[in-house]
Amino acid sequence: MEKFKLKVFRYDPTKDDKPYYQTYELPVEKGMTVLAALFKAKEEQDSSISFRYNCRAAICGSCAVRINGHATLACKVQVKHMLEKYNTDTLVIEPTGNIKPLKDLVYDMDWVIDKLKKIQPWFIPKEEPPADGKEYRQDPYDHHKIDFASDCILCNSCMSDCNALKANKDFLGPMVISKAYRFIADSRDGAKRERLETVLKDFNLEWCVRCMECTTRCPKEVQPYENIIRTRIIAAEEGFKSPGEIHAEIFEQDIYNRGLLNEMLLPMRQEGLLGAAKRAPFGIRMFFKGKVNIADFFGGHKVKRHDEVKKIMDKAKEVKKNIKIKLISDVHTPYEDKRKSKQGG
Amino acid sequence: MALKYAFYTGCSAKGVAPELYDSTKLVAEKLGMELIELEAATCCGAGAVQEKDEFLSLTINARNLALAEELGLDMLTICNTCTLMLREAKFKLDNDPELKAAVNEVLKEAGLEYKGTIEVTHFLWEVIDAVGLDKIKSMVVRPLREFNIAPFYGCHIIRPPYLTGYEDPDNPSSIERLIEAIGGNPVDHDARLACCGFHSFWSAEDKVTLKLTAMDTQAAKKQQADFMVTPCPLCHTQLDAMQPEAEEKIGVNIGMPVLHLPQMIGLAIGLKPKELGLHKHVISTKAIIEKVA
Ligand code: SF4
Ligand code: SF4
Ligand code: FES
Repeated sequence: MEKFKLKVFRYDPTKDDKPYYQTYELPVEKGMTVLAALFKAKEEQDSSISFRYNCRAAICGSCAVRINGHATLACKVQVKHMLEKYNTDTLVIEPTGNIKPLKDLVYDMDWVIDKLKKIQPWFIPKEEPPADGKEYRQDPYDHHKIDFASDCILCNSCMSDCNALKANKDFLGPMVISKAYRFIADSRDGAKRERLETVLKDFNLEWCVRCMECTTRCPKEVQPYENIIRTRIIAAEEGFKSPGEIHAEIFEQDIYNRGLLNEMLLPMRQEGLLGAAKRAPFGIRMFFKGKVNIADFFGGHKVKRHDEVKKIMDKAKEVKKNIKIKLISDVHTPYEDKRKSKQGG
Repeated sequence: MALKYAFYTGCSAKGVAPELYDSTKLVAEKLGMELIELEAATCCGAGAVQEKDEFLSLTINARNLALAEELGLDMLTICNTCTLMLREAKFKLDNDPELKAAVNEVLKEAGLEYKGTIEVTHFLWEVIDAVGLDKIKSMVVRPLREFNIAPFYGCHIIRPPYLTGYEDPDNPSSIERLIEAIGGNPVDHDARLACCGFHSFWSAEDKVTLKLTAMDTQAAKKQQADFMVTPCPLCHTQLDAMQPEAEEKIGVNIGMPVLHLPQMIGLAIGLKPKELGLHKHVISTKAIIEKVA
């Protein structure tokens, strides 16, 4: 039978100065998951490897690890598929990222729990329970809004590969904001504003760099990135002012007034005169490199057929009031490629 | 087969990255790609409008897509975020007939209609699939043999796969294959698939953005790259024009030049650094210009 190498991150802080990797050679068995491979290595070759698991069926969220650099549930993916995906004979298994390893693949969960506590991840009812003694009810569209977000199994895969968290551990992170969204968007919840204030503290909600790792990683199609955007939309609707909100406003105005963004006047409008002064070295640098058009400092030109744009934007505000946009339901299937260059025509 | 596209420039190529606009036009012409510029197109919203008013952003992009439909051509972009925003709009409209009808009610106001008949594509993908790496190879007159080139994909051309779908977001290879085709040396580095930080600049410049910019450029430097190359002008602005701020933030001199994808191809197929706008970079490209001379 074909063999492969399972290269496992090893670290026991009570004994080791620093982490190291240990490689186990195993057969590529039919249907073998990465978790099963870890078990096989532990049972047959080295009983000291530590890792977390429970359900073995992608339900409990315990077994997230990094496989060749990307977080996923070890019990959800097959060895054979991973070897093919990375075109290799070696799977490198590491603990999830952005986190303190405790022993081997087992990581410290406290920091995640502490973050979760901040957003009060439980239902805070808006009203007294219904008089008929039944449960709090919700219309189907309202339920639809929180449907995907409710599927989170707190597996940490999204937190592991989040770029904003990589830069700053104080970012709440996709799992936590997505969980906050689940309650913020819940029509029965009474703590919407309080929750929004929590995620907007220091504009934390807007530290997200839109790298899309979280949605790409999530094994349960929770759409954490999309939930972050949905939270921002609700914050804007609720009248919260933030740099992101001002930024969006500038884009909207520029499209309305000229079509394209005026990047050179952006700093002043974003941060006022003081901000513009702070950015002056950048502007001057760009100017001397021949990167900016002097006309842009005076408003710049309009796109062709610009009259259409105004008409459309005015009308959109009106039509918007009568429509309920459905959430994306499939973030699982890769985009179907129908480009002409692929169709030979 | 004539390669003809509806060319969507985006704001950056018309604003802070004129060298991308110029080099794209020159290289496309050499490669036999005809670009019909959509001069009536607006900004894609860049994710900013999208996070305030989803419906508005969809109507704006439905109009942009309808402009390409008027020409009956696929829309070619040169910015990762434009690509993603336009594909996102298309994905949402094509999968929700009610939403599409509502958007078309709006477009009717300007005599337009969104049908869903064209695709949104990126320069990188067309260079590989439509022009072909063999043709590129045959056109190379100045192989970039002595250059170690660090690919920087930029998030929005690989993730999320339900909107990009061109290649595996965890193990892409298009830029490496292109670098090999022009005789260069692709170098593997930690930030290959990482984020430049651009999109949280105004909310978290110090807390997130500049830290990522510094990590990325340092990762390329650690592997002794001569320059980084990216298919996205937003990544370029962040990694090149904002690199001095990132250096200041961490107190380390990095000095990593960053090229736009068409600039790199252009050098290999015999275009001059000046025509390609290499002098318009913030981090000096002098060492590269001297080597190719
Ligand atoms: S999109 Fe935002 S929250 Fe999600 S992984 Fe990237 S930075 Fe983190
Ligand atoms: S959002 Fe998805 S990836 Fe993140 S913790 Fe929840 S289930 Fe895991
Ligand atoms: S063991 Fe429960 S999710 Fe993998």
